Amino acid sequence: MTASLYWYLREFARIEWVRKFFFARTAPLVTPAHFRGFPEPTGKACQHALFCMMVCPAVGAIDVVHEGDGWKPRIHKGHCIRCGLCVEACPNGVLMSGRVLETMQAQGTALLVSFRISIDRDLCTGCGNCVTACPVNKQIDAQLGAGGHSSNDEVIMRVDDGDVQVLHEEKCTGCKICETSCPTQAIQIARILEGIQQPVEGGGP
Amino acid sequence: MKRTVDVNIPLGPVHPCFKEPARVKCETKGERVIAAEVELGYMKKGIERIMKGRPWQEVMFLAERVCGICSVIHNMVFIEAMEQISGIAVPPRAAYLRVIVNELDRMQSHLLANFSYCYTIEHETLAMYLLDCREQVMDALERLTGARVTCAYMIPGGVRCDIHAEDQVVLRESLDRIEKELHRYASMFGNGPMIALRSRGVGILTPVAAREAHVVGPTARASGIAEDRRIQHPTYKQLGFTPVVRYDCDNYARIMVRFDELFQSIRLIRACLDGLPKGIIRGGGICKAGEIRYSGEAPRGELTYSIKTDEVGRVVEIQIQTPSIMNIEACCHSMIIGADSIADVTATFVSADPCIACTER
Amino acid sequence: MSILQAIKNKVRSRSIHVSYVDVGSCNGCDIEVLACLAPRYDIEQYGIFVHNNPREADVLIVIGAYTHGWEEKLAPLWEKIPDPKAAIAIGNCPISGCCFDRRGSYVDPPVSKHIPIAAEVPGCPPRPTEILNAILSVRDLVFADWEVKRR
Ligand code: SF4
Ligand code: SF4
Ligand code: SF4
Repeated sequence: MTASLYWYLREFARIEWVRKFFFARTAPLVTPAHFRGFPEPTGKACQHALFCMMVCPAVGAIDVVHEGDGWKPRIHKGHCIRCGLCVEACPNGVLMSGRVLETMQAQGTALLVSFRISIDRDLCTGCGNCVTACPVNKQIDAQLGAGGHSSNDEVIMRVDDGDVQVLHEEKCTGCKICETSCPTQAIQIARILEGIQQPVEGGGP
Repeated sequence: MKRTVDVNIPLGPVHPCFKEPARVKCETKGERVIAAEVELGYMKKGIERIMKGRPWQEVMFLAERVCGICSVIHNMVFIEAMEQISGIAVPPRAAYLRVIVNELDRMQSHLLANFSYCYTIEHETLAMYLLDCREQVMDALERLTGARVTCAYMIPGGVRCDIHAEDQVVLRESLDRIEKELHRYASMFGNGPMIALRSRGVGILTPVAAREAHVVGPTARASGIAEDRRIQHPTYKQLGFTPVVRYDCDNYARIMVRFDELFQSIRLIRACLDGLPKGIIRGGGICKAGEIRYSGEAPRGELTYSIKTDEVGRVVEIQIQTPSIMNIEACCHSMIIGADSIADVTATFVSADPCIACTER
Repeated sequence: MSILQAIKNKVRSRSIHVSYVDVGSCNGCDIEVLACLAPRYDIEQYGIFVHNNPREADVLIVIGAYTHGWEEKLAPLWEKIPDPKAAIAIGNCPISGCCFDRRGSYVDPPVSKHIPIAAEVPGCPPRPTEILNAILSVRDLVFADWEVKRR
């Protein structure tokens, strides 16, 4: 009886036991480096290509804001699903997340974004709203009239014969301004994503 | 016919044993269950509706979020369906990597299912062992893909990232460790007398009833139906795949089928690592117009996507058929009926591994 | 602040009963909460006990984007939890609706419209470490001086 009491007292008096009993042992609450977390800036200058916003599958997860004299992507926690697509789509390596950026640089993988303009001839009224709204068009042909007629052959699209004709699809930057300005939803911009790889010399496993 | 019903016991939607909201209504007489009905509708998000009119890069993430437990297979079936539509070929290395990730996902899903069953029959020790084992699988998954649950690993024409050389070593080591532990747990479950009392002969689903209810996945394979979509998959064909079948038809068989499939998955991953071809992991390719019905084997059974796309690769029509709905129906029409107590109802329901999120989407 | 209150604060933050409710998630966050039970993270060593009985709970973990099926169920469930209580939103779904908050879907996020939310853990899904850290960081605050605040 006394022996066991003594034994218990001795056991309980150990500082280790006290610590274990009263203070929970913290589990290793570390996030490994290869976990794909929220995208973070790498410090490279953002070129305002907006590919990150175009490929982002979540609603309102990323936007690019003016900051100082440059642009800066901003991630909204609570919306971002941490997919890492913006990291892969950015041509300038502005964002990083986990190992995604290193891996894609080492293995030469990339996501190519291209745009396809489709016009529904039945819906198009030839109003020319999209032609005048397009920022690329405005840059190419400053004299672009309200009707969407243009004598310049370099514009992305122009109104001909009462319908919009697409001339240079490849110049489109995918901003979708034309889509929102169209009263009949006749013009649709498809953002096409393609995963490609050009193996790097000596890189990759 | 008029039935004498003592009590009408509803289980759920918030119930200690169910991880997801579903409601099982049992008509009981004494302790014996004479009829059961499952009431769903707590998780309907309308995913198929919002998938329409979107390109693959958005639908892929929605497809993953049909079910968070087996997210990789949803990703895989959707992407492979899109590849079939557009005639995109996958580089062999990427095809092998897909199998590795898919099997790791199947392992964690089966471990979770077995954990839930052990937890439901109150064998908490074994349950915790299995959950700990699952963490190791999750670590491997995270190492390969960068995320634990929603991996987003496959894209049309390949995979997101290659497996690093040092990760292959780590993966092999953890597979050895997991296999050793699993052998112990499987024999604990297989030979435990108390577990046998709760599991053997409970929740019988005869092969005839199973065929009638179109049961799929481990639930069907535990009733002696050798069906597995992986037999038709080209990469699995190369690896020499044969499904696991058991003939006991009860809760015990369903859990043991999952244990057997865990070992099978480990073998498949090892075979993939051994025969991993060299080369690129992304072949490129753009999605085109077309229509297809494509199936794959999810951890819970056959998963089918019917997709129609337009000329720029946007999804115009999509239908998803998930495995759990058949299993849940079979569960309440054959397996639960005649259960000796309400405790067996939850155990039987959980043994079929129902996934409410993908049933309702 | 009385000594009694101090003791209450201490005890309440060290013994938390958790109930979780899934109001239309994809299961991703569900299993990550479940993974917190695993011996690796072992949520119980912090005095947090996960069981699914709202009537005994102190903390309600809300997962999912609030589907229509929960309209007349979530608020009564919240009422049933005895005071003091707090709700923690896990994942993007209860915060913003994640990918599901699009035209045509049947969800009605955020959940904070329907019940008061004390803390949020962003991520889709958050890692168990993040969930644990979030719970540990709020447990001292949400129940502190509850009797004083109520007056
Ligand atoms: S990680 Fe994914 S969800 Fe988050 S901002 Fe980038 S693209 Fe959007
Ligand atoms: S999406 Fe292309 S065509 Fe339309 S406004 Fe923008 S740049 Fe012009
Ligand atoms: S936040 Fe993401 S992982 Fe969590 S339930 Fe919602 S969709 Fe699933």
